[in-house]
Amino acid sequence: MTANTLVHSKLVCVALNDKSQLAALEGTFNEAPYKKPPTQPVLYYKPRNTWSLDGAEVEWAKDFEGNDVRAMAVGASLGVVIGRETCRVSQAEALDYVRGYTIVSDFSLPEENYFRPDIKGKCLDTSAPVGPEVVPADTIANPNALTVTIRVNDEQKSAFALADMQRSVAELISTISWIMTLQPGEIIAVGFAGDRVPVTRGDRVEATIEGVGTLSNTLGGA
Amino acid sequence: MRHARIIFDGRELDIDIDTNDRITTTDGEVLDVTLDSDDITWLPPVKEPGTIFALGLNYADHATELAFEPPKEPLVFIKHANTLTGHKQVSYRPDNIEFQHYECELVAVIGKAGKNIKREDAMDYVAGYTVCNDFAIRDYLENYYRPNLRVKSRDSLLPMGPWIVDCKDVANANNLRLTTEVNGKITQDGSTSDMIFDVPFLVEYLSKIMTLNPGDMIATGTPHGVADMQPGDTVICTIENICSLETHIVSEKEYYGDKY
Repeated sequence: MTANTLVHSKLVCVALNDKSQLAALEGTFNEAPYKKPPTQPVLYYKPRNTWSLDGAEVEWAKDFEGNDVRAMAVGASLGVVIGRETCRVSQAEALDYVRGYTIVSDFSLPEENYFRPDIKGKCLDTSAPVGPEVVPADTIANPNALTVTIRVNDEQKSAFALADMQRSVAELISTISWIMTLQPGEIIAVGFAGDRVPVTRGDRVEATIEGVGTLSNTLGGA
Repeated sequence: MRHARIIFDGRELDIDIDTNDRITTTDGEVLDVTLDSDDITWLPPVKEPGTIFALGLNYADHATELAFEPPKEPLVFIKHANTLTGHKQVSYRPDNIEFQHYECELVAVIGKAGKNIKREDAMDYVAGYTVCNDFAIRDYLENYYRPNLRVKSRDSLLPMGPWIVDCKDVANANNLRLTTEVNGKITQDGSTSDMIFDVPFLVEYLSKIMTLNPGDMIATGTPHGVADMQPGDTVICTIENICSLETHIVSEKEYYGDKY
């Protein structure tokens, strides 16, 4: 299972890192159950059963009765690939620990709630394609200047400028490295457009970052 | 039979331990050492750790203690191997916090891949049981994907072991006494019979969402009786007929050393 992926041992994703999404949800986040907006990066894992590759089919999820779910959504992120052990590094040195960059697509059930870990929505088999390759870090002058686009069946549905992230790539690497020691090959998906893109069975989804590549996957269940 | 991973005599070894506490390597070599020897360094018992599923609020009494309604479905969060450490090893207390507590938990280790596993078949997919101490830093809780990674994904804060006991050697995993001792005093005393969602339920539940794989683990939550930990404390988590897991608390500075 772990061979069928570019990920080594851990894929950490950052939710709620789109400034405009945070602004739009500020009222919600001041109410129960959240009570106040997040003060720290909001992190989740895509575990190993989710990891997949460019070109692979993404399974259409089933509900607990075994029926096809009604709706799925996709977000795409720059994937930061760690190059060496990263433990308690500063923002200033954080990018020195990056081996390269790739793309992470996060297929899931629609995001409705951020209060509890979204195991049912996020941990679906094959729902985290990563690829198409890892481009060397020195080919990307400023990762925060990139834009992630999503096309579904050749129509552009989303464009997210990483300049609009609440927290930069270096800040995230640093903050996460003070929680957990990161190892070579582990990947951080640093931020997704707040509006996830609805998808349906059989859709062809292409996530593109100029200079990094295009990650193409097809939804199953058609 | 019990199974563990140790460093002994400079070698990293997979061992079996029989009912007479005799230690045999998987290559058939009998080790002339006792289980309580300081010559053994205990490693986390799962050789190739996969996804670690951990349960929150899975004992009715603990849910009450933490002022939450008992959940109607499991509260599951995920951890990874960076959190693991072995028996008689150290875990650290972060600087400048008010409340770090232990959580003594029964762990089911997955031995066979499966999806959509029925509750009545679940034990065919469980290789055995061990004990973990799923430490939490309560100061860091936020109401986003709670319990968030800052609370539950820190290095060294999931001691596990010392060994895995085969399922067939555990008559009834749903009726085991579970105790925690801090510096020799019992501070937590419960029973797995108070678990809300038991191992077969959890295997069925998780495998409806995703494929479970060998080396995945399910840490099943803790009963009431959590207490603060300080550097210098020794905490021992014990589950009857499974094992006793000893951990020494050190400061953040002591743990990270040159990286501090």
